[in-house]
This record gives sequence, C-alpha cells and structure tokens, in this order.
Amino acid sequence: MTAAVVLDTARTGERAAARSPRWSLWQRWGLVLVLPYVAVFLVFVLYPVGYGLWLARHPASYERLFEDPIFFRTVVNTIVFIVVAINLKMVVALMLSGFLVQDRWWIKILSVIFILPWAVPSIPTILSVRFMLNPEWGVINTLIFRLTGADGPNWLNDPTLALGFSMLMHVWKSLPFWTLILVAGRLAIPGEQYEAASVDGATRWQKFRFITWPSMRTLYLTSTILSMIWTLGDFNSVYLLTGGGPADLTHVLATLGIRYLRLDQVDLAMASIVVALPLVLPLVWFMMKRLSK
Amino acid sequence: MSGTRRWTRRRILDEGRLILIAIPVLLWTLIPIYHLFLFSISSKDSATSGRLWPKEPTLQNFDFVFGEKHFYLNHFWLQLWNSLLIAVAVGAISLFVATAAAFAISRLKVRGGRTVMNLALFTYFIPAAFLAVPMYKTMGNYGILNSQWALILAMVTIASPYCIWVLKQAADKLPWELDEAARIDGASPLQLFRLVFLPLMVPSLVAVGTYALLLAWNEYLYAFLLLSNDRSFTLSVALGAFLSADDSPWELLMATGLIYALPPAAIYYAFRRYMVGGLTAGAVKS
Amino acid sequence: MAAVSFRQVEKTFGSTSVIHGISFDIADGEFTVLVGPSGCGKSTLLRMLAGLEEITAGTIAIDGKVVNDVESKDRDIAMVFQSYALYPHMTVAENMGFSLRLRKADPKLTADRVAQAAKILNLESYLQRYPRELSGGQRQRVAMGRAIVRDPKVFLFDEPLSNLDAKLRVAMRAEIKALHQRLKTTTVYVTHDQVEAMTMADRIVVMHDGRIEQIGTPLELYDHPANLFVAQFIGSPAMNVVEGRVRVREGAGWVEADGGARWPLPSTEGLSDGQAVAYGVRPEHLALARGEAPVTAEVIVVEPTGAETELLVEAGAAQILVVCHGRTEARPGDRIGLDVDRAAVHLFDPASGQALTGLHERATAAAA
Repeated sequence: MTAAVVLDTARTGERAAARSPRWSLWQRWGLVLVLPYVAVFLVFVLYPVGYGLWLARHPASYERLFEDPIFFRTVVNTIVFIVVAINLKMVVALMLSGFLVQDRWWIKILSVIFILPWAVPSIPTILSVRFMLNPEWGVINTLIFRLTGADGPNWLNDPTLALGFSMLMHVWKSLPFWTLILVAGRLAIPGEQYEAASVDGATRWQKFRFITWPSMRTLYLTSTILSMIWTLGDFNSVYLLTGGGPADLTHVLATLGIRYLRLDQVDLAMASIVVALPLVLPLVWFMMKRLSK
Repeated sequence: MSGTRRWTRRRILDEGRLILIAIPVLLWTLIPIYHLFLFSISSKDSATSGRLWPKEPTLQNFDFVFGEKHFYLNHFWLQLWNSLLIAVAVGAISLFVATAAAFAISRLKVRGGRTVMNLALFTYFIPAAFLAVPMYKTMGNYGILNSQWALILAMVTIASPYCIWVLKQAADKLPWELDEAARIDGASPLQLFRLVFLPLMVPSLVAVGTYALLLAWNEYLYAFLLLSNDRSFTLSVALGAFLSADDSPWELLMATGLIYALPPAAIYYAFRRYMVGGLTAGAVKS
Repeated sequence: MAAVSFRQVEKTFGSTSVIHGISFDIADGEFTVLVGPSGCGKSTLLRMLAGLEEITAGTIAIDGKVVNDVESKDRDIAMVFQSYALYPHMTVAENMGFSLRLRKADPKLTADRVAQAAKILNLESYLQRYPRELSGGQRQRVAMGRAIVRDPKVFLFDEPLSNLDAKLRVAMRAEIKALHQRLKTTTVYVTHDQVEAMTMADRIVVMHDGRIEQIGTPLELYDHPANLFVAQFIGSPAMNVVEGRVRVREGAGWVEADGGARWPLPSTEGLSDGQAVAYGVRPEHLALARGEAPVTAEVIVVEPTGAETELLVEAGAAQILVVCHGRTEARPGDRIGLDVDRAAVHLFDPASGQALTGLHERATAAAA
C-alpha cells in the first residue's frame, strides 16, 4: 500500500481507528451510545438464542421429532411453500415491475393502490379471505352456487387447497414489497441503453434479455434469497387462514413451533427450529456477505 | 405527453395490453380489502348471504364496536389504546436505540462498531417467528411475561436492527468534514450529535421511527404469545380471539379489523415517499 | 497570534510510514505554505497540527505549548476545508457563530463578531441564506468567516481553492492574502499548486514523500533551489534539466550533453573535468540568439500566448522549453541559437539531486 493511497483513505475518514487514542472522550461516548443496542442484543437475542439451544440439547427430542408424522408433513409443506410461493411471487414481481415503470398517469395511481396489501396489517385481510372461503356463506361458494347450482368445495378442509390459499395469501401480502424493489432496480438502468437498442432494432423480448435481465440478475437473486428467509418466518399466512389444519396437515415451520409450545412440548418446539437452521443459516450468511461492509 | 400522440393501431394495442394487465392486478389487490369493507358495513345476515353489495349498508357494526356492545369487544377501547401505546413506545425506543448506535458506529467510529453492525444485520435476517418460542421462555425467565413491557422490548429487539442499518447507511452519506469542522469549532460528542447530526438526519429518522411503529402495531404472533390478559391485549390479539368460537359475530370482527387497518394504511400513504425510498434502498443493495 | 513548531514529527498509518521526522518553525504572524505533489504528506501534517490525526512521534507546539495530547477544540485554531464543510441546515450567520454558540457565549457578542467578520468578507447581505443558496466562492468566504469569528491563534487552510474555477481562484487568492495582511494571524496553508504558494507565502515548505525538500521564501526557492525536486516543482513552466558532463578546456568550461550540445557555465569553480552533472536553466532565462550562440537547436513547436511565446526546441538529444517576451519569427523546423543567462544556471549532482554549492552562496536547510 503506497503512502499516497494510505493518505487518500485518511482524507475520507476511514482511518478513524488510528485517529483517536484508546479511550478518548469520543471513543468513550461511542461506547456509551452503542451500549443500549448491545444491551438489547445481549438480553433479548443472545440469551434467548442460547437458552433455546440449551432447551434443544437432548437428542431424545430429535428422535421424537422425527417420529412425529406431523413434523414430516410440515417439512414437506414448508418446502412446497417456499419453492412454489417464492418463485411465483418473484416472477410475477419481475413482470409487474416492468408494467409499473411505464409512464402513464393511471399506472401511477394504480401503483399507489398496489401498495395496499403491504401497508395494511395482515390480520384483518387474512381473516377476510378466510371468510370468503367459508363453505356455507362465503362469497366464493355463494357465487359458485349461483352460477352453477352446485356446492363449491370446502376449501379449507382440503389440505392441498388450504396450503395453496395460504401461499396465495403470502404472495398477496408480500408481492408489493418485492415488486417495488425490482422497480427500483429497473429505474437504475439508464434509459439510453433502451434507446440505443431501439435504434439497433431490438424487440421487446430482446431488450429484456440483453439489457434488463443482466442488470437485474443480481438484485433478483438477492431478493429471492432474502424472500426465502422471510417466508420461512411467515406465521400469519398459515395460522390465521388455516390454523395449521385441517388436522395439523398444513403446518409450516413457523407455525409448528407454536403448536408444540401450546402442547407444552417446548423441547420439541426448539428442536423443530434447530432442525431448520441448516437451511436458514447458509441463506443468512449469504445475505450478510452481500450487505455487510 | 401521451395526449398529443395519435391513436395509431400500434398504440391501441399497446394501451390495450397495459389495461389487460391492469385489470387483474387491480382486482387481485382489492378483493380481500373490499371484502373486509363489505362485511363491516353489512348486518350479519346480509354479510353471510354472499351478496356483493349489502341490501342495506349500515354503520351499525361500528356502533357496536365503538360502544363495546359485545362480549368479544368488551375492552375495545382499552385494546386500541394498548396497540397505540405499545406502537408508539416501540417506535420511540427503537428510534432512540438505533439513532445512538448508528451515530456511534458511523460518526464516532467506535471500536467494534462493525461487529455490532454485523450482529444487528444477523438479527434482522433471522425470521422473527424463529425467535418467538425462545423469546417467550426468556420473558418467562425474566419474570415479565404477560406484561406490556415484554412485548415492547421484544418488538424493539426485532425492529432495531433494520433501523440501525438504514440510519447507518444514511449517516455514512454525511460528509466527514462536517464532523471535523464541528470538532475544531469546539463541539463535544453530545453537541455534535444534537446540533449537527440529528438535524441532518430528520428524513431518515422519520422513516425509521414510522417503520418501527407500524411493525409493532401490525404484530400478531409476539403479542399473542406474550400477553395473556384480555385487558392487556393489543387489538391484533383481540381480533385473533374472535376465531376461537364458531359463531362469532364476523361482521363485528371485520368492522374492528377495518378500524385496525386504517392507521397503518393512512401512515403509509402519508409517508410513502420516505418509506419506499428509505426502506427499499436499505433492504437490498444490488 | 502564535508561533508553531514541529519537532521530529512522524506519522505512520498501520505499518506504512508517511511522514518521516519533520522539524521546522513558523514564526508568529507568518503565512506559511506547505506545498508538494499529491501524497507528499502536507495535508496529513496540517491535520496533525489541527488535532484531526494522531501524532505518532515527535511534538507539535503552538505558542510554546506542546499540543500532542490537546483536543482540537482546545488548541485555539480554526480550519478552512477544501470542501468548505458548512453546516447545511444552518444559515450563514449560524454557521459563522457556531463555535461561539458551542461555548455558550453571550448571543450579543456572537452577533457582533459575526457581523464584523461578515463585513470584512462582504457577506453582510447573505447572513440569513443557507449554504445551498450560495456559489462556491461565497461558500468559501463563509468558511473563512467561520474561522475569523473564532479569532484563533493559527489559521489552517486545507487546499481551500481547489474546488473553484480558475478565475475565482485568482480572486480568492488575493482576498486571502489581503485578509492575512489585515489580521496578521499565523497561517498555515496547504496546496498542491505552486503558483498559489509563490504568490501567497511569506515562506514555503516544499514537501515530497513525507520529507521536507526545502524551506525558504518564494524567491529563495526560485533563485536557489536546493535540489532537483524543488528546482522542477517551483516555477512555471518547469525548469529545463539536461544531463551531461563537465568539460574544462584551457580555463573555459561547459557542460556537454548527449548529442553534443554545449551548455555554458558561469565558472568552473569546484568542478572537475568529466564530472557528471544535471544542468538546469529556466525557460525564461533562455533567449533566441542573434548571431553566434553556444547552443544550437531545432524548433519543434511554437506557442504564442499573447504576451509571450513558448517554444519547444530540440538541442542535441534533449527537448528544451524556451519562453521569450513578445513575438518571434521562428517557425517549426528552423534552426536557431540559444543564449543562456549564465547567472541563472543551476548545477545538480545527478545521483543525489542536491544542488552543487559553489555556484551559489546560499543553500537553505533541508531535513533529511
């Protein structure tokens, strides 16, 4: 590292570690001001995590966990949920992002309305859909009856349909957020590239393939990974719609822990979370590598 | 502007294509919300009859809710107040914790600042649902289970990391020379914080405080786990409690839900420029 | 008002040493310019004086008191930054009065001092404006105003004119110099522009790679550079330097450069035949000869600048720049003769770069 380079970074203040002596007034205040968060972290993150891991220390818990058919079902549900819901969501987000960047006054209004699912709390809306699905008096079955004269299915009593609707709710709720992120990604692409492509005679698909996608690829990947992590934690979409039923057949990882907790089987609850860590931690590590400096 | 372009066949096809996309998007977005609204202005019979618009739209449900005229709504006002109190407390405390930490890490360059930032980032990525069971047991161990402080502190823990991240990103953008000039002018660390840093961070502070506040207001799982007395419930938990019986007054539930949903919607719309810019920029860096 | 002294000051970042044992003094009221190429350490030295960088070794004293462990705010200094560093959320008046406000000074006193400084700098009508509403030059003046209000012992300037366009720079140079003449505060000014150094300084400290090359008044550095670096750094256009060997024949001497050009010497004192030297002469000390000339050259480029003409010529194997007053009839391709002002010839040892004493009476100190 030449002296000139070293001096250059000094100007931008990045060499501050060398700037203050060990316990100068400024360092002391830094310590004081960072302490509240550190305290919060130690008391409410480190201790609970440590305690949780300690609760999950018995191998016997894991044996019982793996013998529980509900656990196996949960794992399958979770994987299906993630693979289907996330890819569906991200692909739709990608397409809608292209739609929402179009310059029309009515699209601007639409994009403001589009945020609603994200802005509004999920409890009322999920419950609203739950009632729409009610087999006796829900709007959907009533409409089916009026149109076909037949009874509609008991939506939430069929595990596959129930899980499907949970996924749909999840997509409904989180789509706006990811669409907006991808919109931001699209807006970062200089317009001139598209103009040059038009002059060169590119079709809409070619523009997407050769200009849009290369620029958006990384963002799309990072968003998908982050979305995976957060979807693993989506408790509301399943719990409020199906309660994990029928017969505990639509549980996902996020709701399973709570189920064990209510059955007073805390060790199983913790074990089910620990079991998910090999999936979650690599994803988290990936995200941290991308974002931390 | 498009108004001056001619209606060529190409243009009709283009606009048609866009409208063809817009209609399903609009329907998809609004159906659950419209249904919520529909229920809340219908009487019980009308709501469960499957009509698309009630025969006689009524505000009677709201009267029931505001008048606490049902068993499940006995403590509506108290619960609304709880939601508000906890949301504001979480917003304020998260803001305080995060602002102090971001200042220390970004401007004071405190030793170990990078580690703290990484710890916070890690906490942000771990799904909150995973932390729920350990948090529940922990609060029990600390002896504050069933108190509102348990929920407040838990939500602060969940909200702070993202707040610190966003604030640190914003703080890093402030020119370093400002701090140096202030130091030479004679500013102590606190004076620098109060007179130079805070005024320049106001937009980010608003975005972050609002984020934490709404996170707490919207929270269900933690509120449900950590509060057990229906006098200490937040509105979200109260709404969930309706589900325990089969013949609950669904229309009242929806009316309550609508009331519950209005503040976040309003705040998001009021601050959307701050929120979208600040939050999406911080969430994923491409 | 105070004297500043540096004693054996060193600075290392990690394992890289950037300042190697610098010692010099600045007298009370003096306008000292630290000048040198990027990366020479001048800004770092200034920041150490300001208290913005730790001093790895050595001492810095202001007004006789060692300030190594003294906080910036207690050193009684004021600094003007390259990027002005104005507080964007405060008005011009608030910016200028900030330091007094921090010390909880009487608001009336603050207002008076601010008004005074504003008057000196012609900022009176801008006091309620915000920095974003001002031009670059105005912002720079506000930064200076902020420094003046402090009434410090030492003014520090860190390349304050680098962000301004050329014309504004010339105007601001004069303003800063006038300010110094009026307030007579000790000033330490850092720049990479040797023209600024030459026009503004009482004394110049030329720095290179963390060491002092030479300290002197502008004219001392111009007339008697102590080494090749200073010779080629000070003065614009830069001094011509040609490598060659001394030839002494029958009492007459010259320097023979590659390609056979014979450069005249004022005397052969202290020089031996065959000695390798670097021969330096400034473009303005060369002239186009009428008739016989010691050096012949071919004209490559002619650049008239109005008042003067710059000619790039080739003498032997070397390219030489000549600056002459007025116009010339020389054209590219012409063969011309060059007259050399012998009194303005400089000789340097090509290995060490040091000036050969004996030709000139004085060599000013350079810290190794």
